[in-house]
Amino acid sequence: MKIKIFAAILVFLGLLLAVSVIPVNPLYNVNWALFSSVVIGLAMLAFFRCFEKSAVTSKEIALISTMAALAAVSRIPFAAIMSVQPTTFIVMITGYVFGAQTGFMVGAIAALVSNFFLGQGPWTPWQMYCWGLCGVSAALLAGRQKGFKLSTFIILAGFWGYLFGWIMNIWHWVGFVYPLTLETFIATYLASFTFDTFHAVGNVIFTVLLGKSFYRALNRFKNKFSIIYIDC
Amino acid sequence: MLAYREKDNLIHKLHPLAAVAYISIIIILSLIFSHPVYLLGLLLAVGTVIIASGNFREWTPYLLISLGMITVIMLVNAVFVQAGSTVLFYGPRVPVLGKIRITLEAICFGIGMGIRLLVIVSAFCFYTYAVHPDKALKLFSKFGNKSVLAVTLSTRLFPLMIRDVRRITEVQRCRGVKLDTGSRWQRVKNRLPVINVLLLSSLERSLQLAESMQARGYGSGKRTCYTRDLWRPRDCLIFSAAVLSLLTGIWAVWQGWAGYTYYPRLESLQLNDLKMAAVIVLALTVPTVLSWGWKKWPLLKSKI
Repeated sequence: MKIKIFAAILVFLGLLLAVSVIPVNPLYNVNWALFSSVVIGLAMLAFFRCFEKSAVTSKEIALISTMAALAAVSRIPFAAIMSVQPTTFIVMITGYVFGAQTGFMVGAIAALVSNFFLGQGPWTPWQMYCWGLCGVSAALLAGRQKGFKLSTFIILAGFWGYLFGWIMNIWHWVGFVYPLTLETFIATYLASFTFDTFHAVGNVIFTVLLGKSFYRALNRFKNKFSIIYIDC
Repeated sequence: MLAYREKDNLIHKLHPLAAVAYISIIIILSLIFSHPVYLLGLLLAVGTVIIASGNFREWTPYLLISLGMITVIMLVNAVFVQAGSTVLFYGPRVPVLGKIRITLEAICFGIGMGIRLLVIVSAFCFYTYAVHPDKALKLFSKFGNKSVLAVTLSTRLFPLMIRDVRRITEVQRCRGVKLDTGSRWQRVKNRLPVINVLLLSSLERSLQLAESMQARGYGSGKRTCYTRDLWRPRDCLIFSAAVLSLLTGIWAVWQGWAGYTYYPRLESLQLNDLKMAAVIVLALTVPTVLSWGWKKWPLLKSKI
């Protein structure tokens, strides 16, 4: 079943790309900003659908909205300093403790909600996607090790500082840069390098300062609310 | 807290579906058009609607910021793109790029992209200030009520947490923690417990929230609805006008009227191509006209 879905997604993406690259059809050379946003939107739709399908309890919804609000609030005092904020760290630690689905939802909702207050824009879906993936990747890391290892978490957090910028650059490149050649691509990525480094350093600092205490608090809370109901 | 402010005019009283459809159609059209006149038409339409909704004051900072961005885009484009054929002047020789040629085409392309950016930014400004986020979210609750509930809850928790932060820092100050004096590093270090306390108290609150949801029967049986938005004739008018403009726009792109080639030489403007732009602008200014009629003409107000 899973392989089938995966194959279907690949075929669909291939078709989308083919439609935009093969000359003889009306969608040839379609606007790339629109096209990339559609692809991102479809990817997020899959995550949201998965969440809707699963049996979610009121506790999980309350947890997701609380952590998302916390991550969103923590973005505000740092809004002036570009790309240094604890949001990435909070999303990642939530994903690390509570799993991929919760991690994605917290990241995506944090981006959406903070933009209600900071201003929505075409960047919103991309930020939702990036922060969502931060949560998912941290959850994947948690599956590979026991407990909380600061060293691996720091590496992942630092790496996300760059990856976040790299994904956001795609949007910037297809949206505002012409012509779309390898040179402009590299130039865009070089231009964002400083901001990405700031982001990465910020992530590492927040992990070092808050990692252990956040992990302990979240883990305790997780044990507290995971109740198993036994039907008699 | 929220950027949105309730205002007494027709555009703030629209059904969220009509408003969201209008905004998304503007954004889609701005992305598929590349003709500067068509893009200017969109800007005109969205600008009049923003002014009619009484949000001109909120719109100005958006305009100023995007004008700055446009200047940057134009400069970068003019310097880096050497594709045009009408050279205005030659710049100095730069190591990586070679000799710089500033061409008319590159500048015009920058202007065209700038207008597109302006349209998109204005559409999002309109969304931020004229559509209530909760109402817009409710549109999607049919497809995903759990995610929408999570988003709504977290929008509500947001101001609450900011109040919490203030409360906690106040308490810390009373206990003699130095939050405002000392070195920068010391201040950051003293503020860290605030985040930890905030986390713990928020988690505690989330448990209470979940329990109260459970006690009120969340997830048991069919969902009920507290408020219902009315779909009035005005929504019908605006929605169909927006759809009409979308169809016209797609047709114009299909026929090649809304496309424009900047490179290698600027294309001349054909009056024939611009007919559809007029249709689109007229269709997209329907909300402005209705809003004006709503104020001036009580009979119209009672009918729509």
